[in-house]
Amino acid sequence: MRLGLVIDLDTCVGCHACAVACKQWNTSGTTGPLTDESPYGAAPTGVWFNRVRHYEVGDYPHTKTVNMPLSCMHCDDAACVTVCPTGASYKRREDGIVLVDQDKCMGCNLCAWACPYGARELDPQDGVMKKCTLCIDRIYDGALAPEDRQPACVITCPAHARHFGDFDDPDSAVSRLSRERGGRKLMPELGYEPTNTYLPPRSAPTVPTADVRRGSLMSNVKDWVNKAIAR
Amino acid sequence: MHPALSVIIFTVLSGAGYGLFSLVTLLHLSGRYPASGQTELVTQLGLALALITLGLFSSTLHLHNPKNAWRAVMRVRTSWLSREAVCALSFYPFALIYLWQVLQVGVEAGPLMVLVGGIALSLALLTVFTTGMIYASLKTIRQWHTALTPANYLLLGLALGATALVAVHAGFGGRSEGLVLLALGLLLLAGVMKGLYYLWIREVSGPSLNTATGFTQARVRLLDQGHTAGTFLTREFGFDPGAGRIRRVRLGVFGFGFVLPLLLMGMVLGGGSSLWLAPALMSALAGIGLERWLFFAEARHGVMLYHGLQRT
Amino acid sequence: MTALPAFEDHDRQQSKYTTCYMCACRCGIKVTVENNQVRFIQGNRNHPVNKGVLCAKGNAGIMKQQSPARLRYPMRRKPGSERGSGDFEPISWDEALDQLTERLARIRATDPKKLAFFTGRDQMQALTGLWAAQFGTINWAAHGGFCSVNMAAAGLYTMGHAFWEFGDPDWERTKYFMLWGVAEDHASNPIKAGIDTLKRRGAKFVSINPVRTGYQAVADEWVPIRPGTDGLLALSMVHVLLRHDRFDWDYLVRYTNAPWLVVDTPGQKGHGLILRDRDGNPLAWDLELGDVVDASLPEIQPALFGDYTAPDGRPVRTVMSLLAERYLDDAYAPENIAPRCGVPAEQIERLALEMAHVAFKETIEIECEWTDAYGRTHDRFVGRPVSMHAMRGISAHSNGFQTCRAIHLLQILLGTIDVPGGHLSKPPYPRHIPPGIKPARDMAPNTPLKSPPLGFPTGPEDLVIDGEGRPLRLDKAYSWDAPMANHGLMHMVITNAVKGDPYPIDTLMLYMANMSWNSTMNTAQVMDMLREKGADGEYKIPFLVVSDAFHSEIVNFADLVLPDTTYLERHDTISMLDRPISEPHAAADAIRQPILEPDRDVRPWQEVLVELGGRLGFPAFTTRDGIRRYTSYQDFIVNFQREPGIGFLAGWRGAQGQNSLRGDPNPNQWQEYVDHQCFFVHHLEDSQKYYRFCNRDYLELARHAGWVGSVEPIILELYSETQQRFKLAGQGLYDGPMPKRPEHKARLVNHFDPLPIWYPPLEQGRIDLEAYPFHAITQRPMFMYHSWDSQNAWLRQICAQNFLYMNRGRAESMGIADHAWVWVASHHGRIRVQVKLMEGVAPDTVWTWNALGKQSGAWGLSQDADESRKGFLLNHLISELLPQRGDGLDNVTNSDPITGQAAWYDLRVSITPAKPGEVGAWPRFESIRPLPGMPDSPDQVRYRTHRRVNLRRSLWDVLTRGKGRS
Ligand SMILES: Nc1nc2c(c(=O)[nH]1)N[C@H]1C(S)=C(S)[C@@H](COP(=O)(O)OP(=O)(O)OC[C@H]3O[C@@H](n4cnc5c(=O)[nH]c(N)nc54)[C@H](O)[C@@H]3O)O[C@H]1N2
Ligand SMILES: Nc1nc2c(c(=O)[nH]1)N[C@H]1C(S)=C(S)[C@@H](COP(=O)(O)OP(=O)(O)OC[C@H]3O[C@@H](n4cnc5c(=O)[nH]c(N)nc54)[C@H](O)[C@@H]3O)O[C@H]1N2
Ligand code: SF4
Ligand code: SF4
Ligand code: SF4
Ligand code: SF4
Ligand code: SF4
Ligand SMILES: [Mo]
Repeated sequence: MRLGLVIDLDTCVGCHACAVACKQWNTSGTTGPLTDESPYGAAPTGVWFNRVRHYEVGDYPHTKTVNMPLSCMHCDDAACVTVCPTGASYKRREDGIVLVDQDKCMGCNLCAWACPYGARELDPQDGVMKKCTLCIDRIYDGALAPEDRQPACVITCPAHARHFGDFDDPDSAVSRLSRERGGRKLMPELGYEPTNTYLPPRSAPTVPTADVRRGSLMSNVKDWVNKAIAR
Repeated sequence: MHPALSVIIFTVLSGAGYGLFSLVTLLHLSGRYPASGQTELVTQLGLALALITLGLFSSTLHLHNPKNAWRAVMRVRTSWLSREAVCALSFYPFALIYLWQVLQVGVEAGPLMVLVGGIALSLALLTVFTTGMIYASLKTIRQWHTALTPANYLLLGLALGATALVAVHAGFGGRSEGLVLLALGLLLLAGVMKGLYYLWIREVSGPSLNTATGFTQARVRLLDQGHTAGTFLTREFGFDPGAGRIRRVRLGVFGFGFVLPLLLMGMVLGGGSSLWLAPALMSALAGIGLERWLFFAEARHGVMLYHGLQRT
Repeated sequence: MTALPAFEDHDRQQSKYTTCYMCACRCGIKVTVENNQVRFIQGNRNHPVNKGVLCAKGNAGIMKQQSPARLRYPMRRKPGSERGSGDFEPISWDEALDQLTERLARIRATDPKKLAFFTGRDQMQALTGLWAAQFGTINWAAHGGFCSVNMAAAGLYTMGHAFWEFGDPDWERTKYFMLWGVAEDHASNPIKAGIDTLKRRGAKFVSINPVRTGYQAVADEWVPIRPGTDGLLALSMVHVLLRHDRFDWDYLVRYTNAPWLVVDTPGQKGHGLILRDRDGNPLAWDLELGDVVDASLPEIQPALFGDYTAPDGRPVRTVMSLLAERYLDDAYAPENIAPRCGVPAEQIERLALEMAHVAFKETIEIECEWTDAYGRTHDRFVGRPVSMHAMRGISAHSNGFQTCRAIHLLQILLGTIDVPGGHLSKPPYPRHIPPGIKPARDMAPNTPLKSPPLGFPTGPEDLVIDGEGRPLRLDKAYSWDAPMANHGLMHMVITNAVKGDPYPIDTLMLYMANMSWNSTMNTAQVMDMLREKGADGEYKIPFLVVSDAFHSEIVNFADLVLPDTTYLERHDTISMLDRPISEPHAAADAIRQPILEPDRDVRPWQEVLVELGGRLGFPAFTTRDGIRRYTSYQDFIVNFQREPGIGFLAGWRGAQGQNSLRGDPNPNQWQEYVDHQCFFVHHLEDSQKYYRFCNRDYLELARHAGWVGSVEPIILELYSETQQRFKLAGQGLYDGPMPKRPEHKARLVNHFDPLPIWYPPLEQGRIDLEAYPFHAITQRPMFMYHSWDSQNAWLRQICAQNFLYMNRGRAESMGIADHAWVWVASHHGRIRVQVKLMEGVAPDTVWTWNALGKQSGAWGLSQDADESRKGFLLNHLISELLPQRGDGLDNVTNSDPITGQAAWYDLRVSITPAKPGEVGAWPRFESIRPLPGMPDSPDQVRYRTHRRVNLRRSLWDVLTRGKGRS
């Protein structure tokens, strides 16, 4: 299995629901708590596994705003794992999820340096690196209803812009979406082979108007001849 | 990249230490060390070990969970940091036996001394190389992702080591034009290398905000990064010294790191007092300290693309 | 690798259902609790509103529950201390309620209107309105008056429902969706899900909005309109449809008043009114008979166009003739509209024709037998799959009522109202036009009002004014200033009360409204007004009662603070009597049940109201012997009946819970709700789903459920006679009350019109436009609800400082760089703010997030919190009165002149770079003092409900595995 996410940039409205859902699930999750510093003071900050950023493509007026949630891509060639000296960072054999064993991490930050996607954040209080677990504590929890065995960010997305599944299975929804909609990997030139893909915005549908343009344009009320229509 | 003081101290001091150790050992074992005697040799080696140890100690300061630092040896298979740790750690027994031999036997190099000294020397150089490779292996930072990085680390370590060597040597009243020439040469080479490096990083390549977002047809700009205060990422990677500061610090790097020490060495070679080698060392240390600060400060991590940088 | 450990100890967790109230969308949630703490809040998949999803706010409920700003106990201003100094002392609930009861009883026994009771983002207006009516004061309203009443009114007076919370696009079927001025709206989650639904089908989504963020980001076409000109754009599209003869002729004839005859006698009484027969039935011209005929009869053949002569000899014209003549005028031609809206003429024309194409060439038909209101059966529902939605980009302008009517006109011409693929109403809507409730006028001591304080006037005779034409309500709703102010004018309450205009009051009760800060205009002066004293040394507003759950800015001004619970701690209902959670094809309501025990001495405000009702002896809240009738709010919800069989909850009525919608109270009703995930849904039959304004099965159901008073069809009113009556009154041609002051006459003449019109936003007519070249507007951030969420440790990390966003090119041409500090000035004042430059905003528009700026010290935030140091409110620049010009309008509210809707987005500003060194937000106010006994806000939050169960990597794996997966 190669588990990961598909994120649909055509419908992501940038609402941050996925980011906060991630925070609330994971703060009591397998790598929680996710410490927040200065929560009620100046410059509030904290550990998040998923952040939503907003970009603009093109210049006014031909500009399109793109909302882009970023979390761990569970890369196939995960340099964050390669560089980790302690073995705390690893990629699971069975499903490709990249995890940090909290008990082994020495907090050297090197894995974060190796990650181009900003997916790793050090918890200053615990002194260890934390990151998206692909909600491993949900997706394999047999006590949850099958439809709930999905990442918190996926079940919450109001625009259904997030999809979770197995990319090794060509018939899975994620594989299909990625194939049909031309799913993109970010920064492919770095060769990390990220698992997550981003679906580009669909091209705008065209609506014909020729068939509703009337040759004889009305210019006066008197031009209309009443039709006999029974009320 | 945020330049962490602990890492600057670590790489500069241990680099100098390994450089010093390698040169002293090499000269000693090849019988070319013009030592005034055992004390000087021991002092040189002791100083090298002290620098190395101080540096390594400093490096643990930047660990957020040092109690797990011992685990750093676990992943030699893939991790350059792990390799560095293993090299650094395995260096010690050989270096210490070697030192012990020098203390016991004196300057005369026996086979055991050659063996352990040789191994220690290789490990010292290897350690500096692995340190360089830690940075060079990161594809996320194009300013580091080059063979120039380990080359720089090695050369700068050796140059600093050589400068220290001649300074200490002078401290013991020694005066060896050959050694000073060696130091001068290494420093010059390192300076040229650094110059090449600075030229090389001007060539912008690698990912851009376009490839980072996948929108390659038009200009992409950051509208909002999704948080108004800093995060781990911006604190760690978001350092921007500004072009003016970079230029000024570069002047400092060349001025203190290379030009001034070279001048001083030239004076010594031209018949000046050997005592000028001490300020040469101080200047070189300061200059290479600046160089190391710049090495981090100038490095732009790919993740900053997501925070608005157009190119790294 | 070995099997995974058990991450969660489910045996120690309980899950309960309830309803979210991090905002007014009211999604269903499932809350998992562990150790009396919330482990996880997730969307309820079965819930009609959110179907399992949750927004950012809903996901942050844990941190609302953790907020250090939660009030802890009742407090009163320390005797002798000054109002606003923040000098409070805790008191017991008994003391608080005794004191309040005594005061209220005195007011009620003498002059009930001296109590003004206004509520903010309240969704239980059925209770608060009932309470006010029982008290006997007409001075009650909720937040609608500063929110979107002009849209609600435009909809209710045109099609019997509205955008706002009363209708939705048919997300499943629509093929063309046009969104006007919406950043988030009340239907937060449904709109997001809806956009996804329609985009998946390849439908086109057009967004009309000066700013491209949020929903507009994913729009297929973005139309960066100049703020306040949407009415022109809509009417220009009407022009295009008419020019190309593209409108739904049958629909207009059958379901609208387009064929009705209008008396055409300019300058005479009765001009512009509908021609009616003796019984008051509207008349049409029957093509077959060649004579007038009762327009409400089926099977007639009414002329859509034409000029005729009435039996009494007066000239008459059809509504459609009037309409077509008006909008065919060149004034509405795209090329003449384009420069004013900033939308190219070709684009206006194309958009109109694209909609015509989808409506008429991509018609959908649903085969289904249904019966119309006249008893005729049909075998299909014809649908024109064009839909629209609009909100505050329209409503927050003083021309919003007419603009919204223009949009409805467009929808109706295309035949898209309540048809498959179009805009659908949500039960209990549609209602008859307008709903048959008139605003109360008469008051007497110790006597409930005879009708609710708010209602729907149909002419000047329904105004709430005295014989001299002076307003009777404190907020001057239903006066000549705002004749159709159907939700009151909450934004005028403090100003009017302090001025004693129309009269002084004794007590102001505010519930869930931050009226000294983000929900008021002219913030700084309103704060002064709250402190203002008369010559007698008494405060101009003698007593201010605030019910709030948090330490908000308004709490600081209270004389009595009644602390509310959080949404996870109370019983509540989202009722069919108010704004329920219905979906277009399902009537639905819901409850909130307590999930957590409050750890503070707080009480739900609704409980307090029920208790006060009992204490004050309100007839509806006491038995004949004067004994409290309801032991609790829950008891009230279950047992109160508005009319026989109709109560607050529609599900499981009848003694055995056997009845839906109508039935006797059921003692087990609450438990039924709890057992059914806290909501009730009644699904409509297929035959009841569309054309509900004229659908017999639906109308019968609606009458049964008490949603409508009769099964008469609801005729969509393209032409509003109500509007014409007011206009005639302004012209001096009305049989009934007429204004005397010239400015009142002018307002009626210029702004009321039976057909939609456009006029420039009022502020623009009273300032030097060149001095204030920018339009300044706000948007709601999707991740925060008004002022509530800056106390939320997670949400404020997303945004703790708002910026003023400017168009990059425009700003750079003014020498303004990204992140520069600038001065922003309006006719009313100036502020200093930090700018951010962006591409996706019209060059003449600047915007910021609403309600992000905070007063230092409020909301449990530290005094140096970014919200108060760097964040700002645009409200300082907005005046509650029109710009002063030394004329009769100086004292008149800055609102839609028809409905009194606050005109937040009419604001025009100038922008100048700040001097070097001028940084930080300005103005800043004194820090609010901490409340007694409030804990210090923590420096760190490490929330979790259990210790983590780490997933270990084995040593073997560490040592043996290379890079990658194997
Ligand atoms: N997350 C969140 N949700 C909320 C709220 C909240 O505070 N936060 N508040 C709730 C409340 S009380 C309300 S009333 C609703 C309001 O919901 P919205 O109607 O979405 O309110 P605004 O955010 O004010 O959005 C107005 C939009 O209109 C645009 N606009 C401004 N002027 C014009 C104009 O003249 N023409 C056009 N076409 N567009 C214009 C603005 O750019 C903005 O995008 O949201 C409710 N939902
Ligand atoms: N510039 C500008 N100003 C605007 C707007 C705009 O778009 N731009 N929008 C306007 C609109 S549409 C609206 S609706 C208003 C909204 O204005 P308000 O209704 O005043 O909005 P809130 O900030 O939500 O604050 C309501 C108060 O309710 C309190 N509260 C929260 N939860 C509870 C609870 O459970 N119980 C009790 N008793 N109190 C509670 C909060 O602490 C807060 O003090 O703002 C208006 N102001
Ligand atoms: S929840 Fe969905 S729509 Fe919202 S930001 Fe995340 S991906 Fe985008
Ligand atoms: S996204 Fe970053 S953290 Fe995640 S696997 Fe890839 S490199 Fe590692
Ligand atoms: S911070 Fe932890 S997980 Fe990351 S590389 Fe260092 S030891 Fe490995
Ligand atoms: S998969 Fe889970 S951990 Fe990863 S971003 Fe989504 S919610 Fe967060
Ligand atoms: S939209 Fe969000 S905050 Fe509002 S009720 Fe739904 S989940 Fe709660
Ligand atoms: Mo609102």
